[in-house]
Amino acid sequence: MSYLEIKSLSAYYGKAQALSDISLSVEKGEIIAIVGANGAGKSTLLDSIMGLVRQTGQIDFDGSVISGKSTSNIVKSGIGYAPERFNLFPYMSVKDNLLVGAFTAKADTAANLSQVYSLFPRLAERETQETATQSGGERQMVSLGRALMTSPNLLLVDEPTIGLAPKVCQEIAVSLRRMRDDFGLTVVITEQNANFAMTLAERIYVLEAGKMQVEGTVEDLRKDNRLIEAYFGT
Amino acid sequence: MGLRWFHFAAWGLFALGLALLPELVSKGTLRTLIFANYLAIFAISWDLLSGRTGYISFGHPFLIGIGAYTSAILTKRFGVEVEIAIPIAVIVTMIAGLIVLLPALRIRGSYFALVTLAFMELMYQLVQVIRPDLTGGTRGMSGIQTLTRGAVNGFYLSSVLMFVIAVAAWLLLRTRIGTALTALGLNESAVEGSGLSTTKLKMFAFMASAFVAGLGGAFYVHYLGSIAPRALFDINFVFTIIVAVLIGGASTIVGPIIGAFFLTFLLEYLRPFLPGAERYFIYGGIALLLYMYQPKGIYAMVMKAWHSLHERATK
Repeated sequence: MSYLEIKSLSAYYGKAQALSDISLSVEKGEIIAIVGANGAGKSTLLDSIMGLVRQTGQIDFDGSVISGKSTSNIVKSGIGYAPERFNLFPYMSVKDNLLVGAFTAKADTAANLSQVYSLFPRLAERETQETATQSGGERQMVSLGRALMTSPNLLLVDEPTIGLAPKVCQEIAVSLRRMRDDFGLTVVITEQNANFAMTLAERIYVLEAGKMQVEGTVEDLRKDNRLIEAYFGT
Repeated sequence: MGLRWFHFAAWGLFALGLALLPELVSKGTLRTLIFANYLAIFAISWDLLSGRTGYISFGHPFLIGIGAYTSAILTKRFGVEVEIAIPIAVIVTMIAGLIVLLPALRIRGSYFALVTLAFMELMYQLVQVIRPDLTGGTRGMSGIQTLTRGAVNGFYLSSVLMFVIAVAAWLLLRTRIGTALTALGLNESAVEGSGLSTTKLKMFAFMASAFVAGLGGAFYVHYLGSIAPRALFDINFVFTIIVAVLIGGASTIVGPIIGAFFLTFLLEYLRPFLPGAERYFIYGGIALLLYMYQPKGIYAMVMKAWHSLHERATK
């Protein structure tokens, strides 16, 4: 059984179906990317894993069924979530933003905090600054940091590069790779920027209109010119 | 918690100031201060719920009224000792707080505010119609046992109550729960995504707010010795509480106290010139101006001035 396994997942907002019969698997220690255009259902997929959306189907994580559990219990089971557009607490300091993530953590808060600061030294320098006054890149760091404060084994990151300059995107890519290589996390990201996804991830899933269209390793996808043209535009 | 010596020094100075006031001001001013103390308690209660979580309550007198009526009925109609009646009143108010919580689990924003307003109106109607032999109906109740005699004793009792509630709330909000409640008010979905139970957090905020409202309501009725539904379940009373918080500074504990004292004295000093409800236009105007100029209230203005003085002194 895979580390994260999604079987026949459908998700709904009221009566509208946002995801249809999605199946996906992630192995421990992998970085995978879910690529798709606006409205493809990428954020809904991550929200479904976190139990934030009404859904059918089954989601297993680390050998246990997590579908149907509360978000609080899903986080406690070891899944951290950095939502789209950072979703921070704007008039709270960087440190307080990070601490909100720590409330459900199993590990020591101080240890988690030093881990986050070692990954993003800029946050340590600005821990008393309100996040409303920070740049987009710094806010993304706070968002990733807050997710790390929950002591996750699997990290879900929704569109980590949205609205960020190319240089900052590279910094974020380096941080995400370090999270896997240095801290042993499994990472799932969603992306519209297919190039970014291909430089970071080992496997890619392509989502279109709530349905999974293509899945494969980056090498396999690169070989298929029709696919590249259809979904990656390069 | 981040407690520093100057925090305790500031609270200590405030306590000392309150203790010395009866020596410095007239009995009439003390009576005004008693009302300021109770308004501060109600403002802290409202701030615990609405200032922190963002669930704006327009029906706070619903909770205050339950505390006041429960204690008044128990002592006057059933001869229960006031020392027992007040804790029962607080418990009953906390149960009522759970009722107010129910709509907050599904709605927020203006819808929640309107539902809470409906709770207040419902309570107003109920106390008049249901068992007027107990509630006193439209005329309310008088001859309720009072806890103190004289302005000085009344002032000390209300000051101790307000001070203890303020310090306890201030300490509480410096814990993780306080941080989580602030976060809840800023971005509920992000709190949920961080794995915190927003339902439990809301329940805590509503219970804490109801606890303070019930305690304040019960003590208030035993200070007044009477209760009238029209005065209690009144939209002007709601706005006075809310404006006190906004003028002083929401989400600060100290802000609602400053706002309550400022408003009470403003209303009192305006009374000779504007004896009617026109006074409320004046304080509405002041609140509006202050809100435009400094939305974070008087407390933020004082802190800003303090920080700039501190910076100058250390240069």
